[in-house]
Amino acid sequence: MKRVAVIGVGVTKFGKHERSTAELFAEAALDAIRDAGVSPRAIQAIYFGNVVGGEGERQLHMGPQVASVLGIPAVPTTRFETACATSHAAFRHAVMELAAGVSDVLLVGGAERVLNLPTDAATEYFAFASDAAFEQPAGLTFAGVFALMARAHMTKYGTTEEQMAHVAVKNHRHGVLNPKAQFQKEITLEQVLASPKIADPLKLYDCCPFTDGAAAVVLASEEVARKSRRPIWILSSAAASDSMCLHDKKDLSRILATERAAQAAYRQAGRGPEDVDVVELHDCFTIAEIMATEGLGFFEPGTGGIAAEKGWTSLGGKLPVNPSGGLKAKGHPIGATGAAQIAEIVTQLRGEAGPRQVDGARVGLVHTLGGNAATVLVSLLSSE
Amino acid sequence: VITLKAFFEEARAGRLTGIRCGQCGELAIPPKEFCPACQERAWEPVPLQGNGTIASFTVIRVPPRGRAAEAPYAVAVVRLDEGVSLLGRIVDIPLDTLKVGLRVRFRPLVYDNQTVIGFAPAV
Repeated sequence: MKRVAVIGVGVTKFGKHERSTAELFAEAALDAIRDAGVSPRAIQAIYFGNVVGGEGERQLHMGPQVASVLGIPAVPTTRFETACATSHAAFRHAVMELAAGVSDVLLVGGAERVLNLPTDAATEYFAFASDAAFEQPAGLTFAGVFALMARAHMTKYGTTEEQMAHVAVKNHRHGVLNPKAQFQKEITLEQVLASPKIADPLKLYDCCPFTDGAAAVVLASEEVARKSRRPIWILSSAAASDSMCLHDKKDLSRILATERAAQAAYRQAGRGPEDVDVVELHDCFTIAEIMATEGLGFFEPGTGGIAAEKGWTSLGGKLPVNPSGGLKAKGHPIGATGAAQIAEIVTQLRGEAGPRQVDGARVGLVHTLGGNAATVLVSLLSSE
Repeated sequence: VITLKAFFEEARAGRLTGIRCGQCGELAIPPKEFCPACQERAWEPVPLQGNGTIASFTVIRVPPRGRAAEAPYAVAVVRLDEGVSLLGRIVDIPLDTLKVGLRVRFRPLVYDNQTVIGFAPAV
């Protein structure tokens, strides 16, 4: 397989936008193309991620739409959907096209727009990513999915609501340092614990927000990447699944798809968790960050909450997690999230993250989880 | 193989049906073609009594569209006595008395003419 690199990244401001999803993606793509230093003519295909465009904008077939808005209407496109892991799945498939030698330059990313919808409608559309026969009719929401996993983790390991709150406080502290973040304000442990209950034991500040935004990366073959300003190399990109229904999962206190994808990504890269300097992972809810740090092999099962409490995952800690602010503070435009996480790790490995830079970061890990923990992607990137 | 339609028609009549793998003994909730444990295709239907304990639960306070009148309500993953889990809506149990390990019993529910798995107090 041929080596593949990220040569350009672009992320819109996260928050509320009045433009269409395709226009949002075009803004991020423009930045990524300029950063890559390539002509739009060089792009041979677009791997595009979006989740609720059909419901929210009455717009399917968004692939050619984004190509048209970008002004490269002849370029082949494919839309990906793996719930919240959507654009990381698009990324992995683009990496494989380049690794196979089919193309030299590809544009990858995603966009999402939900703040034009009432909260109950957005909650309903997101719940479409849980099972339509068993889970949706019971009234389960996404906060509910992670609340069930949180309760299982608390019951098995003694993880506390305070430990979960530490994740939110830390990610908000990081978000202050990220001008693209939806929330650039610190919050206190007391505020998290006193925030309204959404799905017990999860409270408002345990949950990431609804977000509009887009992110894009330009991927290139080694030959093209060598001529670029600052290529960041892809060591591995792996995907794994677990049973769709929560009741089919063997252990609600673990995310098996994370463990499977991580093992595959480490094996492909010939690296282990001890080699990772900086992490962007899927903290859609505070418990999700705790469970991900365990599933990725950074901390023993049951100790992710302690790691959060001790500050080990903070900027300046032994393993900085979510320097961007994570989904919690940066925001979570679901179809764009994977690409935005990849863009952050590229920025970190280039040493260009400014006040949130992890000093000397050389290997970064990106973890993105889709839906009811049924899809996970893990990629490892390196500056060398 | 038991279809979703058949599973929920039976459930509506108060009967839960699982499937057991004739090769490895795995017990599962339909629908499945191959056994997720051994990938053989040797299912036999198994009646489930509907008695179990709460393995995890949540109280939904911000519901999806159309469910506001029902909120707050609880959803639980219940470990049935036969050794398989099933997710459903909790009914007739005060929310502040819910706890992991509480005994419950299956009760079919119908919302908008759709059959929903429910769990009520154990008798």
